[in-house]
Amino acid sequence: MSILIDDNTRVIVQGITGKIGSVQTRWMVEYDTKVVGGVTPGKGGSTVEGVPVFDSVEEAVEQTGANASVFFVPAAFVLDAFYETVDAGIKLIVVVPEHIPVHDVMKIRAYALEKGVFALGPTTPGILVPGKGKMGIMPGSLFSPGRVGIISRSGTLSYEFAGILSEKNIGQSAVVGMGADPVVLSNLPDILKLFEDDGETDAVIIVGEVGGMQEEKAAEFIANGMTKPVASYIAGRFSPQGKRMGHAGAIIRGSAGTVKGKCEALGTAGATILKSPIEVLDWTADKDIH
Amino acid sequence: MEVPPGPRKNARGLKSPMRLYEYEGLDIFEGFGIPVPRRGVADSTEDALLIAGEIGYPVVLKAQVLVGGRGLAGGVKTAETPEELEELSASLLNSEIKGLPVHKLMVCEKADILNELYMGITVDGFSGKPVVVVSTEGGVNIEETARTSPDKITSFYCDPAFGFFPYQARMLLRRLGLSERLLTLFADVLVRLYRVFAQFEALIAEINPLVVLKTGYQGGLLAVDSVIEVDNSALSRIKRPMPELTERIENPLERKGREIGVTYVDLGGDIGIISSGAGLGMATMDIIGERLKPANFLETGGGITEELLYKCMELVMMKSDLRAIIINIYGGINPIHEGARGVVRYIKEHKVKLPIVAKALGNHQEETWEIFRDGGVHVITEAPTEKAVERLYELVGEE
Repeated sequence: MSILIDDNTRVIVQGITGKIGSVQTRWMVEYDTKVVGGVTPGKGGSTVEGVPVFDSVEEAVEQTGANASVFFVPAAFVLDAFYETVDAGIKLIVVVPEHIPVHDVMKIRAYALEKGVFALGPTTPGILVPGKGKMGIMPGSLFSPGRVGIISRSGTLSYEFAGILSEKNIGQSAVVGMGADPVVLSNLPDILKLFEDDGETDAVIIVGEVGGMQEEKAAEFIANGMTKPVASYIAGRFSPQGKRMGHAGAIIRGSAGTVKGKCEALGTAGATILKSPIEVLDWTADKDIH
Repeated sequence: MEVPPGPRKNARGLKSPMRLYEYEGLDIFEGFGIPVPRRGVADSTEDALLIAGEIGYPVVLKAQVLVGGRGLAGGVKTAETPEELEELSASLLNSEIKGLPVHKLMVCEKADILNELYMGITVDGFSGKPVVVVSTEGGVNIEETARTSPDKITSFYCDPAFGFFPYQARMLLRRLGLSERLLTLFADVLVRLYRVFAQFEALIAEINPLVVLKTGYQGGLLAVDSVIEVDNSALSRIKRPMPELTERIENPLERKGREIGVTYVDLGGDIGIISSGAGLGMATMDIIGERLKPANFLETGGGITEELLYKCMELVMMKSDLRAIIINIYGGINPIHEGARGVVRYIKEHKVKLPIVAKALGNHQEETWEIFRDGGVHVITEAPTEKAVERLYELVGEE
C-alpha cells in the first residue's frame, strides 16, 4: 500500500468551480485519480469535468463516499471550509492555497490534531503517488512509479527532484509537498514516519530550505531509529537572510534555522547531504537505489 | 560558504510580515491600555525641539528603523538640553542604522528605571502555537540571558483556539518568582499584549524593555519600546487603520515587485533570475552562486499570466549592467505557456539582445518551448537546473 493515496481513496475537490479548481480537477482526473465529487456552496447540482458538484461537504460525503479532500478554496474561506470538512468525517485534507492567515492555520492545525485528521499545507502542491493518483497541482508528466519517497517544503523543488530522478528512470513511491508556510498542518517528521513505515519505499529525499526548525526535528527523527537511507538538499545557501526584529523567536528557537545548522544536524543523524539537486544521482548510484 | 553582501530580506518575501515602526506600535499599545511614555514623532530637528519642549528634558531620541539591535548600533541617545538635542537629532536624522536610512525620530520622556523586564509573543512554527515568553531580565542582552541564565526566562505555548487568560499569565509569572503587586501588574500588561497579538494577527508582539519605574507611574510599569510584525496575509481583514505596506519598502525595484505581485529582492550581481517558486529560486541562486552573481531574486508564486511575466521582464531589465537572464519555471498551477508569451512579447517589443536561458517543464511544456524558441530564448528541456546554469556559463563566460 502506498502512503496517503491508494485504490480506496475517493477525492472531493473543494472550490471545484473556480478557475484553478476546475483546471486542476481536469489534470487530476486525467491522472486517473478517483475524483468523486466537488463542493462549492451555492453551485450544487452542476458538474465540472463530469464530476458532480455539491453545496456542502456533508452532502458530498453522503452521496459519493468521499474520504479525502483537496482545497482550491480562496484563502479567506479556508478556516470555515476546513472545519466543515473535518466535521463531515474526512480524514485526509490537502490545503493547496497560499496566503492563508497564519492565525487561521494555527487554529485548523489544532483542530486537525484533535480530530485525528491528516492534513497537508497550506501552500503545498499536494501529494502525488505515481500510477495511483494525485491530490493537488503536481504536473504528472514529471513523475514515474518507483521506490524513492520525496518530501519537499517547496512545491517547485519537489518537481525538480522528481524530474531529475525520472529522467534517469528512477521512480518515486510518493511525492509529498509539506507546504511552505511558517506553520504547516503536518510537520516534516510526521511525513518522514509515513515513508519509514511504508513497504513500497526504499529511500527518502528531504528537500528543505533555510528558516524554521523542521529539518532539525527531522534529524532527531532520523537519529531515533530511521532505518531507510535519507538524502537531503537544503535550499538557500546563497539566499539573503531577513533582517530580524524582536527576540522571542531567537529565544525559543536558539540557533536553529540556518542552512549550515540544518545540514550539520541532518548529516550527524546519518543523512547524505546534497549540495546541489543534481547530486541526488550520485546518491542513488552510491546506494544502488533504482 | 559565504552569503554575498547585499540587502538582507527574506526570500519568501510576500510571506514576510509587515513591520510596524516603534511609534506605531506604542500608539497601538496605548489604545489597548498598556502604559507608554509621553512621546512624539519628528522628521526634523525643529519638530524634535518642539516635542522635547512639551515633554521636558531630559528626553530620549530614538531612530525609527525597521531592524533589531538598534540600541547597540547607536540609534538611541539621551539629550539633557536643547543644544544637545539639536546636535544629536541632526546627526541621527542623517544617519543609517544597519544600512537603513533614518527618516524619523521618536522623542520621548526619559523613564526613571528601577529595572527592566521582557515580554514577547510569537508564532512557534513547529508546534503551530502562539508562544508567550517572559523574563525578569529584559533589555538589549535578552538573548544572551536566554543562553546563560535560562532560569530567568520562561515560556508558555498557548492553545490557538482557546487564547490566553489572566490566570495563565499569573501562573507563568509565578514561575519567574514574581509575586504581589508586580505579578498582577505584569500579568495585566501581558494579557493586553496578547490581545494586540491576536487582534492584529501578529507574528510577533514584543515589549523590551518593560520598565519598572522607581516612582509610581500609571501603576509602576512602562512599555518603552514596541516590536510588532503583522501577517501580510491577514492585512485586508484587520479592522483597524493600517499603514500602506508598499510605501515602507525603501528599494524602488523591490517596491515595484510588490506592486506587480511578485517577490523581488535586489542583489549586487549581474544575472537576472525569474522563477516560479521560492524554493526553485533559492536553488537557482545556490547553483549560480558558485560561479556567477545574481542581480536579483524574483519568484512569482502561483499567479503566472502573460501580463505578469511581461512585467517581470520589465522589472528585471530595470537593473543596469545585466549580462543575462535565467528563467526557471514549472507548469503545475502556473500556465507557463501564457507566461512564455509575456516574456517573448517583451523581448520583441524592446528588441532585447541579452542572452536569456529558460528551463520550463510541466503542463504545456512543448507549447512553452516553442514560444520561447520563437523569441530567441535558449530553451532547456531537462529537469536539472544545473543544465540551465551550464548553458548560462557558455553564453556569458565566467567573471
